[in-house]
Amino acid sequence: MSQASISGAPAPYGDDPVSGFEAHRKQLRREKLAMNLVFAVLFLAALAISIHVSRFYPDRLAAGIPRIFEYFGTIMPHLEWQVLFEGRNEAGRATPGSLTFWFSDIALYLRLIGETILMALTATLVGAGAAFLLCFPAAANLAPNSTIFWISRRFMEICRGVPEILYALVLVFAVGIGPLAGVVAIAIHTAGALGKLFAEVNENASLRPVEGIKSVGGSWFEQMRYGVVPQVLPNFTSYTLLRFEINVRASSIVGFVGAGGIGAELNRVISLYSDDRVVAVLILIVLTVTLIDLLSERLRFHFIGKENLR
Amino acid sequence: MTATSALPNAEIDALKAAYPQVFDVRRKRVILAIVWGVIAVYLVGSLWYFDIGRFLNASDRVWRLISAMFYWRNIETWQFDNIYSAIAQTLAMAFLGTLLASIAALFIGFLAARTTMPFPIIRQVVRRILDVFRGVDQLVWGLVFVRAVGLGPLAGVLAIFVSDMGTLSKLYSEALENIDRKQVEGVRATGAGPLKVMRYGYLPQVLPVFISQSLYFFESSTRSATILGLVGAGGVGMIIIERFRANYFDQVTFVVLNVLFCVFAIDWISKKIRERYIGEQSH
Repeated sequence: MSQASISGAPAPYGDDPVSGFEAHRKQLRREKLAMNLVFAVLFLAALAISIHVSRFYPDRLAAGIPRIFEYFGTIMPHLEWQVLFEGRNEAGRATPGSLTFWFSDIALYLRLIGETILMALTATLVGAGAAFLLCFPAAANLAPNSTIFWISRRFMEICRGVPEILYALVLVFAVGIGPLAGVVAIAIHTAGALGKLFAEVNENASLRPVEGIKSVGGSWFEQMRYGVVPQVLPNFTSYTLLRFEINVRASSIVGFVGAGGIGAELNRVISLYSDDRVVAVLILIVLTVTLIDLLSERLRFHFIGKENLR
Repeated sequence: MTATSALPNAEIDALKAAYPQVFDVRRKRVILAIVWGVIAVYLVGSLWYFDIGRFLNASDRVWRLISAMFYWRNIETWQFDNIYSAIAQTLAMAFLGTLLASIAALFIGFLAARTTMPFPIIRQVVRRILDVFRGVDQLVWGLVFVRAVGLGPLAGVLAIFVSDMGTLSKLYSEALENIDRKQVEGVRATGAGPLKVMRYGYLPQVLPVFISQSLYFFESSTRSATILGLVGAGGVGMIIIERFRANYFDQVTFVVLNVLFCVFAIDWISKKIRERYIGEQSH
């Protein structure tokens, strides 16, 4: 009787436990190696196809990279320290090399950035309102019946599946150039994206208050209003603020297709000029986005508490 | 109301005097009403400012557009090979951009993590540069790179590369900061040099996180690569905008539906890979 068969069953790799272990380990290593090889081959094939399809050849890259640095060289501002803070002179002209010269269109930029933020705010409010109406029938535990559940889910998927800039493109064609198309496009996307998040919050809500209200004869609307809404409102507010941050970014680019905001100006300065105006607009956009992020983060902490956020 | 209360009236009055803010329901209601009022006034005002009435004037135009989108004509002239090669190009751009961004982020992540970068100055500089890469939208990068290297997928790959590198490096460095230090100390105790410490102390812990995040970004880049073409940076967006400008709305609908299907398929595959090989829990 050997040591390996203490339990009575025959050992899988002969009688010697050490050689059995070694054989088993070797087999596992072989399987892992084969798996890694398959993945490597698949990966290399995908890489080769990708390089071929997008014509990402080394010579094109080598020709392109110097041009990138050249371009970034031309859009950098030329500032001179002696005249940096000089204002406009009597003739109303700014001195080259000063901040005034670099940001000579600042009034226009600030007006457009204001419009961008307003667009994001309106679109977030409208979208969150729509999402609020959609999220109760779209929550699996609250939906009155499965048809309404299915319809509201699919509707939200369509809303968030298409990028907002495509909606903007279509709406600009429908209602004309201007911020309205951008607002509606972002609102549609927001309704889909927030509706999904809201529905998930609803699915995690406790059903006891709902049952309580049902037991005293409350209708479906009353069950939602008094049973669910008080539980989920802080989370909804926090998600809405988070979406507002995302929408500020979105509304700064929908202008590329003519849907209002700073995007139209950015598109214009990038396409028509290659000078320091490009960097001026970019800096303003990055500053705005960062500021809004910081403010909204403060507010989110206020609504949901720091420890619940992560 | 004494019948419903467990406390005598005098005590209730005393409590009211002690904690006025709890009992003052009216004040709370007034504040809520003011908040809702401000929101309502803002909404009405801003929608008026944005000219919401244009929808009413444009209604027949909207209906014509919608019917043109869903009434498919002359399907045989749609040049399907162009459409599908553009979709393949979009996927290839997303793949290459994310791959290059992951490789770059692998190095930059070590520079930006508190655990691996002993000099705070370098760390802060690297992080601020990453903030700029992330703060500028991918589509704006696309526009800039189209201007720099010309129309085509190269600009798209570079745009995806730059914006994904910004985000992935930040996520990678956060993963590096959240690892178990004991393994690193163990490897260091055996007398391994800094490179070996990275290879055997850090990498085995963070690699699954890195791969899963890169897969996730491949997904999200496929979505964003479809619109990079709107500014001329290659991929299916170029087909969409070209046919939209030529008023072939039915073809635009077809292309968008195909793209949605592809994105859905990639989501599904990458979720399966993450669940099966990285052991991530499905949510």
